[in-house]
Amino acid sequence: MKVEFWGQEFKVNLFIGIPGAFLIAVASAMFGFGGGPFMVPLMAVGLRLPMYVIVGSSLLAIFFNTLMGSARHYGFGNFDPTFFVLMFPAAIIGGFVGPRIAKRVSPIVVKRVAIVGLSILAASLLGLF
Amino acid sequence: MKRQWLKLIIISIAIFFLMYQDGVFAEEIKPEAATERITAQLDKPSLKGGGTIMITGKAPEGKPVYVEVWSERKVRAARLDSEIDKETGKRPYIFYLTDEMPGFYNLLVPSVFSDALDEQRKLGRKWSVSALLRNTGATAAFEAPAKAKIDRYQTTLWASVVGSRGELLSPMTEFENKRRAMPLVKAKFRDLDVVFKATVEINPDGSFKAPIELPSNAPPGKYYVVAKIDKDIKSETLMFENFISFPQVYLGNAGRTINMFVPFLLTAAITTFGVIMGAGGGFILNPILVMMGLPHTVVAGTVMPTVLFSQGTGIYNYARIKFISFKVGITLGLAMVAGGFIGPKLTELITLAQYKFLFGIVLIILAALMFWQTTPKYLEKNKKEQAILKEFLRRAQEAKQKKMEGGK
Repeated sequence: MKVEFWGQEFKVNLFIGIPGAFLIAVASAMFGFGGGPFMVPLMAVGLRLPMYVIVGSSLLAIFFNTLMGSARHYGFGNFDPTFFVLMFPAAIIGGFVGPRIAKRVSPIVVKRVAIVGLSILAASLLGLF
Repeated sequence: MKRQWLKLIIISIAIFFLMYQDGVFAEEIKPEAATERITAQLDKPSLKGGGTIMITGKAPEGKPVYVEVWSERKVRAARLDSEIDKETGKRPYIFYLTDEMPGFYNLLVPSVFSDALDEQRKLGRKWSVSALLRNTGATAAFEAPAKAKIDRYQTTLWASVVGSRGELLSPMTEFENKRRAMPLVKAKFRDLDVVFKATVEINPDGSFKAPIELPSNAPPGKYYVVAKIDKDIKSETLMFENFISFPQVYLGNAGRTINMFVPFLLTAAITTFGVIMGAGGGFILNPILVMMGLPHTVVAGTVMPTVLFSQGTGIYNYARIKFISFKVGITLGLAMVAGGFIGPKLTELITLAQYKFLFGIVLIILAALMFWQTTPKYLEKNKKEQAILKEFLRRAQEAKQKKMEGGK
C-alpha cells in the first residue's frame, strides 16, 4: 500500500502491518491496556515508517481498538460503572500532569526506572517471588 | 373436713406430677423435634464496614454443626472447563457462567476438621471445593451457591475466534447445578481460606459457637446465616446487615467494597508516570488492581474505556493540523477492530492465574522494548527522528495558521 504524507511517499507492507496490528489488538483488548508501546515499534521497525507518520496514525488505529474492545467488554458485563467513575477523572488528571513533568525529566532515566519497575511487576505476576 | 381437702389437693398434685413424668402430656412438647432442631442467635444485628459477629446456639448432641453465611448481593462467576474428562478422554470446553453467585460466601465447619482444610491448603492452587466438602462432611450444608442458576455454553475454538460464548446448552438438573457450582465458588473466591474456615466450636452437650468474620471489602446489604447439620436439620435463617459509609463504595460488578480514594489516587499516579514513560497507564495499573483482588475481567473492561477520552483529544489535535495519515490509521485500525472484537471474549475464558502469567510475559516484552529504546544506537537514530518530527510538526502548524489567516 502506498501512502503519501506531507509530500513524502511511503510503502507500507500490509503483510506485516495487518497481522501485527491484529495480534496487538487481541492482546490489548484481552488485558485492557492501550496498544501504543507495541504499535509504535511495529510501525517503526516492521513498516519502516518515520516517527512523524506514526505519532498520529498509530493513535487513530489504537482508538478503533479501544472503542471496539470497550464496547465488547461492556457487552460481556465486564464494565463496572462506579469503578469507572472513580478512575476516569484520575486518568484525565494524569493526562494533563504527565506531559508537564515529562518536559523536565530525562527520558532515558524515566525509561530505566520503567524497565526496572516493569521487570519487578512481571516477576511478581509470574510468581517468581 | 379442711384437712381432707388439703390431702386431696396434695394427692392430685402428686398424681399430676407422676403423670407428667410418665409423659402423658408430652405430646405438646414433641421431644423428637426438640432434639432434632437447632436454635441459634447472633450477638449483633448489624456490622459497619465488616467485623465479627458471633453465632451461638444449641444443636443435637454429638453432631457436627456447619454454619453457612452468604450475602444478598450477587455477582458473576465464570469458568471454562477444559480439563480432560476421565471417562471420554476428551476436553469438554464447556463455559459455565452464573450471575447469581453470592458476593460473599462462607462455610464454617467444625474445628475438628482443620486437618482436612490443611490437607487441601497444601495442594496450593489445585485445591478442590468438592473434595473439601467431602472430607469435612459438608456437602449437604453447601446450599446457597448451589442455588445460583448456572448457564453453560459449548465453546469451540471457532466460537472463541468469532468472539461468541458458544452454544447455550440445556439447563442442568439441580444435582448437576450443585456439582458445577463448586468449581465456580473456587473461580470466584480463589482462596480456600476466604470461603472455608474450621471455626465452629462444639461442646459435648451440643451447644456451639462460631465467629462470622466479614472483611472490610465485603459487599454491603443483607447477610443470611444458617446453622445446619444436614439438608433437613437446620436453624431458622438468621439475618444481619452490613453498612458501609463514605469513603467506602461498593463496586457492583467487581462484587467488593473499596475505599474510593484508592483507585482514584492509584490511577492518577500511575497514568501520570505512564504518560511520562510514554506507555500509558494500563500496563502498570491493571496488574496492581488484579493483585489487589479485583476480578481480571472487570479490571480489563473498566480500565480500557478510561483512555478513550485522552486518545480522542490526541486524535483531534493531530487531525486539526492534518498530521494523521488516515490511510495508514484506518487500514491498521480495521485490523485492530477485529482484534478488539475477539480480545474481551478471551478475558472471560482465561483464569486469573493465566491472566497473570500472560500479562507477566507481555510486561517482559515491554521491558525489553524499553531497554532497546535506551541503547545508544537507538537513541542516536531517535534523536534524528525526533528532529524531523518537530520540523514536520512545525510545518503542519504553520500551514494551519496560514490557512486560518487566509480564511479571514
